[in-house]
Amino acid sequence: MTIGLFAVFIVITLGVTIWARVNTKGTDDFYAGGRTFSGAQNGLALAGDYMSAASFLGIAGIIALSGYDGFLYSIGFLVAWLLTLLLVELMRNAGRFTMADVLSYRGGRRPMVRTAAAVSTVTVSVFYLVAQMVGAGALVSLLLGIHPGETFMGISPEAAKVITILVVGMMMIFYVSYGGMKGTTWVQIIKAVLLMAGTTALTVLVLSRFGFNLSEMLGAADARSGRPGQFLNPGQRYAKDADGIVGKLDFVSLAVALVLGTAGLPHIVGRFFTVPDARAARTSVNWAIGLVGAFYLMTLALGFGATALVGQEAITAQDPSGNTAALQLARAVGESVAGPVGGEILLAFIGAVAFATILAVVSGLVLASSTSLAHDFFGHVLMFGKPKESQEVAVARFSAFVIGVFAVFLAVLVRDMNVAFLVALAFAMAASANLPAIVLSLFWRRFNSTGVVCGIYGGLLGSIVLVALSPVVSGGPRSLLPPPVDFQVFPLENPGLVSIPFAFLCAVAGTLLSREKADPGRYSELSVRALTGAGAHGQQAKNVGGAR
Amino acid sequence: MQADDLAGLATDERFRLLKARFRRLALTIVGAFLGWYFLYIALSAFARDFMALPAIGNVNVALLLGVLQFVSTFALAWRYTRYARRMLDPLSAELRDEAGQRQAERERERRILAERHRIENWTRR
Repeated sequence: MTIGLFAVFIVITLGVTIWARVNTKGTDDFYAGGRTFSGAQNGLALAGDYMSAASFLGIAGIIALSGYDGFLYSIGFLVAWLLTLLLVELMRNAGRFTMADVLSYRGGRRPMVRTAAAVSTVTVSVFYLVAQMVGAGALVSLLLGIHPGETFMGISPEAAKVITILVVGMMMIFYVSYGGMKGTTWVQIIKAVLLMAGTTALTVLVLSRFGFNLSEMLGAADARSGRPGQFLNPGQRYAKDADGIVGKLDFVSLAVALVLGTAGLPHIVGRFFTVPDARAARTSVNWAIGLVGAFYLMTLALGFGATALVGQEAITAQDPSGNTAALQLARAVGESVAGPVGGEILLAFIGAVAFATILAVVSGLVLASSTSLAHDFFGHVLMFGKPKESQEVAVARFSAFVIGVFAVFLAVLVRDMNVAFLVALAFAMAASANLPAIVLSLFWRRFNSTGVVCGIYGGLLGSIVLVALSPVVSGGPRSLLPPPVDFQVFPLENPGLVSIPFAFLCAVAGTLLSREKADPGRYSELSVRALTGAGAHGQQAKNVGGAR
Repeated sequence: MQADDLAGLATDERFRLLKARFRRLALTIVGAFLGWYFLYIALSAFARDFMALPAIGNVNVALLLGVLQFVSTFALAWRYTRYARRMLDPLSAELRDEAGQRQAERERERRILAERHRIENWTRR
């Protein structure tokens, strides 16, 4: 039944994608959806791009098992949007399609800036993509109820995982390469509406079981959590007192990456350019803040509700990491309202929403990286900024295919690893590689292209190397590599606390040490454009042209 | 848009005002929300006993402050939007329109010059 509902979602979105294809002609259409989306539409799409299955199933699961600590994720994911709100208008005014449009403003449009931006965009996207797709594989075996060793209608769990990853991969490649930004945006909007509707329905049903008394629900959750009296307090999962100061720093490091990463995520930045002007961009971020905020508040009801109504034991029995908590909650709540049939229906609906969520997020990521490859690398580096529009769009469609296939390949390869850390790593990389470059480009008069390049590569390599040397990879209790291998040097699992300052340092050092002269005229030009929107790409400026 | 037009606006008194206002607003908001967020994170990591105090029924201080983070985010977003609408948008619209007009004028001049050039060439032949 989940499959049936999911099929309906696929059919509708395919229809929209094909319609979008008909209306997609040039680069403005393919990369920015023709810049015709309203603030509210783009706000929904931003929220759809942002709210991943990791946050829907993952956070509900963490709250259900570890109580209060899961809520910290929700808070970080929301608060981060204030930074986005401050940057969005400047970025919209200054850029055309990608982050690199803003960065290359400084220092004579050197190709190395474009290359660095494309490398960072693709790297962050691929890490995030793999995490999401492996999650999709795990989700299907949980939904079908197949455990290791069992089979479901002749499908082993392994085969089911691989098939799911392939199907998700094929769909996302189709959405992006066929529908471009227009098609992908509509997929996001539909998904956001579905996700909000599903979570709201579930939240209302859960709260109604407790007479809409939050305190009563928390009490019931505490009682069935397996650690009554402790469950609602901090420190059940992160920064446990046993881990000492290292654990606490690790926790702070995660918090830093969450709050600074959002404004640098490529699929979020790409969405700044789909609206006609800066004001619509601001409106869309405000919409996103409202939606994302409401959604993450509801994760409280989902998580604690799952503990209260399903119980911690039943959740861990199904999946030790708790990813099925929201699904089990849906079944339990549905059953209490309309008997076993009701349970099955609500479970199927929430399962389909989870799949739609994964599909929408991966499509956004593939779109962001293919845009960057085609516009930044092909258009500006290989073709010296003078590609034919039709050529560039063809390259974008093709890169969507290449990146999609690559991500599917990687996801199939690592499908059995616990890749949850990849999401946090993607946020840390976005915060280290992209944010310093963006902020310094907009606000530092002396910044130059050497600084941009040093900042991006410094942040990117810094965060990857730190994770490689951390207990995530080797030498820890939950490492990827088995025990005898141990080259762990860096004690924190989250690199943000070190890698973000390091990236800023690289950017500043690169600027000051290079012999390249900063061009104050370019900076004035950029700041006038960013703040006033004069000469910005968009509806009004369409005929002005050449405004780069 | 001509680069000189944009750079020229940079020294405009109104642009300086716009820039100063935006910077003040951005710094205030960044300071407020990052400070408050990290205070909250620090409390969660280092002041466990305080966070565990009961506030309302089964809701403890940690959860209450967490929900307040949501409230403050909404409030700051609203505050920013209102300020931008009143104090930034009119200024930037004025400057943008002027730049557009100057651009249009320059375009017209260029067309007239080109036309004159064409006619001169034609009469000389």
